[in-house]
Amino acid sequence: MGLDRRGFVKIVVGGVAGTLFTPVIWKSLDDVSIWSQNWSWIPRLNKGEVKANAALSKLCPAGCAVKVKTVGGLPFAVVGNTANPMSQGGVCPVCAAGAQLMYSPARVKSPMKKVGEGKFEAIKWEDAEALLVEKLTALKGQNGKIAAICGDETGTAGEVISGLLSGLGNSGYYMMPGEKFVAEKGVKLMGGSGQPGFDIAGSDLVLMIGADALDSWGATVANQKAFAATRPTGAAATAKFVYAGPVLNHSAGVSDKFLPVPPQATAAFALGLANLLINDGAVSSASDFAEYKALAAKYTPEEVEKATGLKAETMKELAAMIKAAKSPVVIAGASFGQGGGALDFVAGASLNVLLGRVGSGMTLLPAAPKAVAGAAASEKDAASFLSEVATGKAAPGALLVYEANPAYALPQADEMAKALGNIAFKVSFSTYMDETAALCDLILPAPHSYERFDDALNPYGVAKSTYLAGKPVVKQPAMDCKDPVDVLLAAASKLGLSLGYDTYADVIKAKAKALGADFDALVAGGIWTGDAKGGSLNLGASALAKVAVPAADDKTLAVALMSNQAFGSATLATPPANLLVISDKELSGKDLLVQMNAATAKKIGVTAGAKVKLTGGKGEMKARVHLNEGVAPGTVGVLLGFGRSAWDEFTKGKGDNVYKILTVSDEAGTGLKVWAGSTVTVAKV
Amino acid sequence: MDQKLQELWGEVMEEKKQCKGCGGALPFLIGFVAAVIAGWVLFPNLLYSKKVQPVRFSHKVHQEQGMECASCHTFRDDGSYAGLPNNEKCMECHADVVGSDPAEKIYVEQYAQKGKEVPWLVYQYQPDNVYFSHKAHESFECKECHLEVGKMDTPPVYYENRLSGYSKQTMKMWQCERCHAENGVSNACHVCHK
Repeated sequence: MGLDRRGFVKIVVGGVAGTLFTPVIWKSLDDVSIWSQNWSWIPRLNKGEVKANAALSKLCPAGCAVKVKTVGGLPFAVVGNTANPMSQGGVCPVCAAGAQLMYSPARVKSPMKKVGEGKFEAIKWEDAEALLVEKLTALKGQNGKIAAICGDETGTAGEVISGLLSGLGNSGYYMMPGEKFVAEKGVKLMGGSGQPGFDIAGSDLVLMIGADALDSWGATVANQKAFAATRPTGAAATAKFVYAGPVLNHSAGVSDKFLPVPPQATAAFALGLANLLINDGAVSSASDFAEYKALAAKYTPEEVEKATGLKAETMKELAAMIKAAKSPVVIAGASFGQGGGALDFVAGASLNVLLGRVGSGMTLLPAAPKAVAGAAASEKDAASFLSEVATGKAAPGALLVYEANPAYALPQADEMAKALGNIAFKVSFSTYMDETAALCDLILPAPHSYERFDDALNPYGVAKSTYLAGKPVVKQPAMDCKDPVDVLLAAASKLGLSLGYDTYADVIKAKAKALGADFDALVAGGIWTGDAKGGSLNLGASALAKVAVPAADDKTLAVALMSNQAFGSATLATPPANLLVISDKELSGKDLLVQMNAATAKKIGVTAGAKVKLTGGKGEMKARVHLNEGVAPGTVGVLLGFGRSAWDEFTKGKGDNVYKILTVSDEAGTGLKVWAGSTVTVAKV
Repeated sequence: MDQKLQELWGEVMEEKKQCKGCGGALPFLIGFVAAVIAGWVLFPNLLYSKKVQPVRFSHKVHQEQGMECASCHTFRDDGSYAGLPNNEKCMECHADVVGSDPAEKIYVEQYAQKGKEVPWLVYQYQPDNVYFSHKAHESFECKECHLEVGKMDTPPVYYENRLSGYSKQTMKMWQCERCHAENGVSNACHVCHK
């Protein structure tokens, strides 16, 4: 029997019919529908036990005591640590994005060596460490040839870096500018010593002069918790908050009163207030009261109105509020946490002396014992140091940059970046590829906060000595990184120095022991607190005599730097998740919007939405105008944190960097470099 | 016209006679049966690849020691299900080789002592978009949904679907829905897809 065409067709038809009675078609259709679920490049959930581990998140300047939620050992979310008395379950917007930042595309993935302009190649850790030792060996013993810039104000890492430099015969250890550095100078001018603190929780009136204490000044989460405690649900507020500063910012927005004061006039404002209080009977036992009284008398309401624009009646109302308060406290600081002068601090702090609140509202913290022998405090800030490098007054051959971004976050940023170019060998210990790392010759990636041991002593603003510590949350870092302190301790050993420790964990344990704190309790999310020391302060009258009342200028505007903690910090670009909270009144497309009130805009001839060029401090930036009646007269408010040239696709190239147009000047009588009172010209383009 | 029709009819009848010579309905039946056999026997063998567990784990031996499913497959304190035990659990007994079974030696030397978790193949791993709570199904016997491995000395072969990547035993949505319906439990989307 042969198989002809017809027979073949019959077999095929039979086959097709038979297939319908099998799972072939139905199963295949079903499987194809879920075929795409398991493609190898599709991310999979990491399943496992969900835990919440205590950690110290140092992504924000003060550091947050947090709980990092993990699944199967990998972080996926961050919440506040309710057991920690400082954060009380709160978390700042930067640390809240910490889990996401651990996997950021901007992270430095391995040690990198510069091989050309903007070009790096990955190298092995042993090669990177050998290169570091080789360069330091060549410069060892030559004072001024090795320098370090530290951006971590609270960590004991600074002691290790400073101790290493001392051991190498160098004294070039510089901190990035911050409130703490300036405030300690201010305390000295008032005849005291130590880091000042402010008891917000224990005060019934908090006057913030410039200091954005409820968003980006000091220990912000603790400050916010103290504020919240004075606002019980369904009951009357138990304390009053007043914000006197250049912009209606987050602190001003929730305060009982906002007084618009231009950034260069905060000292005049404080002294004008002192004049009213003294006229109303306030006296002080401070030795320089008579001198202070005579000085304050010059700041009449009329003079203050000239300097600040505030009416005499407004000042009198404020003076009456302060007089009626039982436990007022005055906090003075720059609106963006740096660049303010010591005199601005002294002017504010002198009100606490006048009100008899030193030791209660305003405290002084005792010096903490050192863990590293030979460690010295920074005598100058990084801005002063790099200014000297720019002029050739300082000529280091090697620079170590630890958790700092001087190429971006210093005034006259372009000049600072050029000054960095004068240093032959630069090493960046950074977690992220920031603007400074991109200029360095060697990048040694640092672990993220959840991958390392770290500590925080006395975050600026706390009323009593405070110590926090944290340990790694994850077993293995997400990148090929090493703790910078471990790297430096190993380098020290190879250079024939012994700093007494092998690892940063050992350093922190020693620090805790020296303070009398329990290391295990600290890394489990606890806190150590000590007492504030006693002591008295004078009114700083002789220093305040040098305060200059700013002259009115029709051609320039004062720059008020606006800080929003959600947008990052001097060392951290805006976390990708937080880009969602930037409004179209702050950033429109790639244009940064600068803020000024309608009267100021009219005076300089610009309108809402106009494209403008801001020029100052040897630099310029472009932006557009947004009219905001919450900005002091004669002032332009500019947001910090934009105009990144490094980092990642989420932040790079958005807006412009205001640090470029700030002007560094010397503060009269203190020699400090200041830029909080910078002025700029604004012109239409 | 009629003549033409008659001629055409004649051709058809002639062809029909010839067709009887090639088997009538037989080819259809042959094709039908062959497809059915291929569909039920060959297709599954082609669709699934066979894999064996990295360690020949004997549930039987452990059950004979008096252990129950929940001795190793535990709930965590928060009620979530730990699933397969990790090294920490296994090493409570097998930090060192305690028996003579070569499989135990493989586990201890290649995994436990190296701190490496065993990449067990999970017969009923659900997709990421499914939220399955073992706690909510605690009243059922394990074997009502899982392979009854308790009496097995060698773990069953793992069949992996070459197209979808899922295990052959992964429970399909219709099975979930049927059981929910039979037990009066909601079949709303959000019950399983959070």
